Formats: sequence, structure tokens, C-alpha cells
Amino acid sequence: MSDAAVVGATLETGSPEPEAATEPRGVLEVDDVAVEFDTDGGRITAVDGVSLHLATGETVGLVGESGCGKSTLARAILQLVPMQRGSVRLEGTDLGALPRRELRRMRHRIQMVFQDPRGSLDPRMSVSTLIGEPLRVHGIGDRASRARAVAEAMELVGLPTAVADRLPSELSGGQQQRVGIARAIVTDPAVLVCDEPVSALDVSIQAQIINVLDELRDELDLAMLFIAHDLSVVRHLSDRVAVMYLGQIVETGTASEVFTEPRHPYTQGLITSVPRADAESAARLQTARRLVLGELPSLLDPPSGCRYRTRCPYADDECAATEPPPEAVDHTDGLHSLRCHHWRDIAAGSGARPSSNSQEHAP
Amino acid sequence: MSGMPLLDVDDLQVTFDTASGPVHAVDGVSFTMAPGESLGVVGESGSGKSVTARALLRLFAITDDVRVSGSVHFDGVDLLRVDERRLRKVRGGQIGMIFQDPLTSLNPLMAVGEQIAESLRLHRGMGRAEAASEAVELLARVGIADPEKRATELPSSFSGGMRQRVMISLAIACRPRLLIADEPTTALDVTVQAEILLLLDELRRSEGMALMLITHDFGVVAATCDDVQVMYAGKLVEKASMAHLFDRANHPYTEGLLRLVPRFEDAHTGRLHPIPGQPPITGGGGSSCAFAPRCDHAFDRCHQEIPPEVAVGPEHLSACWLAADRAKDSTEAGRPWRRA
Repeated sequence: MSDAAVVGATLETGSPEPEAATEPRGVLEVDDVAVEFDTDGGRITAVDGVSLHLATGETVGLVGESGCGKSTLARAILQLVPMQRGSVRLEGTDLGALPRRELRRMRHRIQMVFQDPRGSLDPRMSVSTLIGEPLRVHGIGDRASRARAVAEAMELVGLPTAVADRLPSELSGGQQQRVGIARAIVTDPAVLVCDEPVSALDVSIQAQIINVLDELRDELDLAMLFIAHDLSVVRHLSDRVAVMYLGQIVETGTASEVFTEPRHPYTQGLITSVPRADAESAARLQTARRLVLGELPSLLDPPSGCRYRTRCPYADDECAATEPPPEAVDHTDGLHSLRCHHWRDIAAGSGARPSSNSQEHAP
Repeated sequence: MSGMPLLDVDDLQVTFDTASGPVHAVDGVSFTMAPGESLGVVGESGSGKSVTARALLRLFAITDDVRVSGSVHFDGVDLLRVDERRLRKVRGGQIGMIFQDPLTSLNPLMAVGEQIAESLRLHRGMGRAEAASEAVELLARVGIADPEKRATELPSSFSGGMRQRVMISLAIACRPRLLIADEPTTALDVTVQAEILLLLDELRRSEGMALMLITHDFGVVAATCDDVQVMYAGKLVEKASMAHLFDRANHPYTEGLLRLVPRFEDAHTGRLHPIPGQPPITGGGGSSCAFAPRCDHAFDRCHQEIPPEVAVGPEHLSACWLAADRAKDSTEAGRPWRRA
């Protein structure tokens, strides 16, 4: 497919030194991963050439709307869905090339935290049994060392020892998610993939769980891939961020860069859409409406050229004709790149004016 | 009739009798809404905000063992005292409702246009043909492209955001004077949420209907509502204009809610500040401040007596002993303690 479909790892900026790619090589290296599915309507490419590298102790936020492929990417990284192409290397080992048994042996080094804590916990198992289960499954340690690891994991996630013998149904939602996190870290993983870990929780519980994840990253030096649709939470937790749209990463960079100076019109629209508790809240949403037009196109029939062009107020013929390659933003730390033909003009304020002709909204 | 509030809720009490004892879900709530007013109701799960909304229309499950007292005057008529037949005309008629998950309120086996038309025939007495064409009109009104075709489709063929638009078109079909929206955008992506919030705001202004929006997100309130009231353990603990509340939150619970979530505009600034503990599962009904056990500022009196609502600013009420003591000591109304 497109050989320009790699964001981040090798920025094809026309620069003579592709090695200048400054994205840290790290504990998790995802390169040019594509995932296809057969659906009722035909074959779709849910993830289309995504590259992401995570260093130890680093949190990368993955954002985008429902259906952008972020959860599918997470499953591909964990080898839970087959990849059409690309590679996932965990601590240097190519997971896709491993026979099933070897893959199982590697799995304790990369763990996942799910959205719905209740649904991911066996209701008949006690808290300590649930947390110790991954150790037993992977044959790690003996009975005594497993008990120690379980106690340690419970302490790390802030579960009192008193709940060790309780069933999931006897726990609050926040405690259930703490059990989910304890299960993920008990095997001493290098990488934690969190897929919407707080979106099912009440606001006050969300804050507790975010703090737990924040502390774990510091304590355990985990690399964390944090998937969420709540941009405020992602900004709070992430060092870097990648914005996905229709299966591709359209913009990536440090969280502070991308969130304060987004260059891609889609990222700009996403960020402007976040309702903030201030006096400009309503006006900001009006702006957002001019940056993200209409509805998400179907993956069965993705737009030619730039994926975002059908919703982009700046789109022109060039956008329909050619797919924009990833391009580095100049004068930045080198991590910031995006896929947009017109980002320089837009940044300079000379891009075609956002049309307000969105017939979707005309009453 | 002029000057009379559209909605006048007085000392509303809702108690569920459960196997483990009574739960005072709503504990003496009083407020009014003027025609065209927009009011946000904010609180954690279990604060009583959704039960308050359901109680206005006596929308309870048949299995609920529930006692409701007080009065809910809508357009001068006490909805708690009218018969079921009359109330059914108000529900989905003069008062429209939308909920977080439109799928639970839409019939999965009936085309959406048909569902809207049914409501129009029932509430507005339209004929079959007129109702069908008005349904298409309404779908267009809420921003659904190709409404003639979409009207013939089942709810399952709509995306989450489009389904919520269908729900809104159904809710506004009978030109309600009050629209109650309970977490209408919580399950939606941010760009879709922005669209829905703008749509609600536009409809409120163009139709002159009042909007009661229930949410846990102050950002959502800021985008759509002029006024906000905060609920805790079945009681109103603070009420103010949204513009006033941004930087002058008075009640420690409101402050806690505002500091709880990471603000998008802040870079990572260390740990978040969860409010310790949990809301009481039995709701209100106590004889002291229900928030005192979780409050950093609580002192003896908070554990002994229920704090009164006191004015802490222009059209700004707070039910907190700190505010009450401060108001007594000084004529200056304002922040009773310094930000931590």
C-alpha cells in the first residue's frame, strides 16, 4: 500500500537524513501496522499504516473519535487481532513472528486495562485470586512469591488488604477498576495498554483512577499507551499524543505541542470541541463546528487523497488527488508531525477560509 | 399569568423504600424556572439530579417503591396531583425529555419517522399524512441530511450522534415549553457532543423553550446554560449564574467538583484532587450537612445541624455553615474562605 504511511518513525520530509527521526526508539516499537476486517458491507482497513514508539517511563495518548481505529490498534499491538502488515516489537522481540506458545510467554510483559472493570472480572473469583490469576496462567513464581506479588500490586493500586477475599460484586466501581489495574501490573509488564480505563466511571472515581495510573507510571517506569476520547484526561496523563482519524495517525507530537499548537485541522476541531467551564464555552463550540463538518465517512468507502478532506473546511482539489505524506513541523522539537497539504497556509492564516456552508446544520 | 414561573418546584421529596431501608434520593428541593430559561443541574452519580427530573413527571419504574411529596407546579398545575391521563399529555407534550442513551427511548422495530409521526398524532392531533410530512421536517430541523429517506429507517441504522438527533426531534415534536435533557451527550464523541449542545442551544432560543440539562460536566453547562444548581445527597447545595460560578464557587462540594477533573487548558500539574469518600448511599434525610464527612473545611456545627441556604452574592445561594457564619459576621457577600 502507501509507503508514505509511516508517521513518526521515519518522517519523510525530504530531509536527506531519515535517521534524524527523533522519536525515541523504545520498549514498544509499532511500525506500519495495518489491520483489515471483513464486515457485512465488505472489507475495511481499520488501521492503515500506523507507527508508534514508546520509551520506558513514557505515556503516549491515542485520541480520536469512535471508529477511528484506536482500539483496534491496541488489540493489534497485543496480537489479539491479526495484522495485514507491519510489525510490533516488544523489548526488541517481533511479536508477530513468534509462534503462539512463545507469544504467550511474552504476554506478561505487555498488559491491558479495559474500560468496563465489571465485565473483565470473573464474578466468582475473590480479589486476591483475580489479581494472582495472570501469575498462575503464566507460571510465574511459587505460591509464596505470588502471594507477595499480589499484596504488592494491591498496595500499589491502593486496595486495602481487607478487600482481598471479597468478590467483584462487593466492590465499588473504583475498586473494581483498581483490581483490573492490579491484574495488569502484577506480572511486572514493561508496557501497559489502557483502553478507555476511566470512561465508565463516575467523575470522582475517575480522578482517583487517573492518579493511580499516574503514580504507577512513576513507580514502575512503565511505558503506557493511553487510549481515551476525553482529551482533558489524555492531556493530563500523556507525554506525547497521537491523533487518529479513519485508521491513520494524522498528527503526533508532544502533548504540550499538539494540544496548544495543533496544526492539523482535525486536531484543531477536536480540541476546540472540548467544552470548557468558562465564559467562551459556547463561542468555542461555534468555531469547532466550522472545523469539523458533517459526519464521519464510512470505512467501506474512505475518501481519496486526504482522509479528512470530506470534513475539512480548507480542502481543495489537491487534497482529493493526493494523500498528504507525514511531514515534520519545523522549529519544533522534531517530534511534531502531521499529514496535511495546507498546514503551513492554515498556520499562516492564509488557508482557504473555513466555509460555513455546512448544510448539515442549516435548520 | 405573566411573571409566573413556568416551573415551580417546592420542597420536593422522593424516597425509595428498598430492601435495605429508605433512600432519600431527593430531600427537600425547591427551585423555579422561567419560560425560556436554561438551567444546568450538576452532581455526582447518586446526588439525586436524575431522580429530581424523573419526579417532575412521576417517571418511575413500576417496581419502584417510591414516595413523592411536595409540589411541582408546571404552568400553574401541580403535576404531582393531576391524574395519570392528564400527566401523559404533559409528558412528551408540553415537557419533552431526552436521555443519555436514545436506544432505550426509541422503539427498535419502528422507523424513526413513524415514531415521530405517532407522537404528533397523539399530542397534536395531526392526521396521518400531515404527521408524516411534519416528521420529515423535524428530522431536517435537527440537522439530519436526506430526511425523507432517513425517516423510513430503523434507529439501529443511525450513528450515536444521529440517534440523539432523532431523540431530540421526537422530544421537540410537540413544541414543549420545557425540555429536560439528562446527560444527553455523555456517550458521544466530542465533535458530536459539540453539535448536539449547539443544537439544543439553538432550539431553546428559536422555540423559546426552557432547558433543564442534567450533567456531571461543568463545561457542558457553561456551553448551554445561564444558571446552574449543584446537588449533593438529594439537596441543592449551591445555585448561581454559570458566569458567576466560574471563579466564585462557594460551596466546598462545588469547588471539589470543579477541581476534580483535569481542565483541558492546564498542562499536567501534578495529581488530581479527588473528593475523599463517597456520597451517602441513603441519600439525604440526615440532621447535619451531608457533605461534612467529605469536607476539608467541616467544623463542629457542620456535623450537628443542616446548613441553611444563604445568599453569598447576587442571585447566588450556598448551603454551607461557613458561608452562613460569614454572612452573619459581615455584610460583604463573597468567598467565605481562601482557596486551598
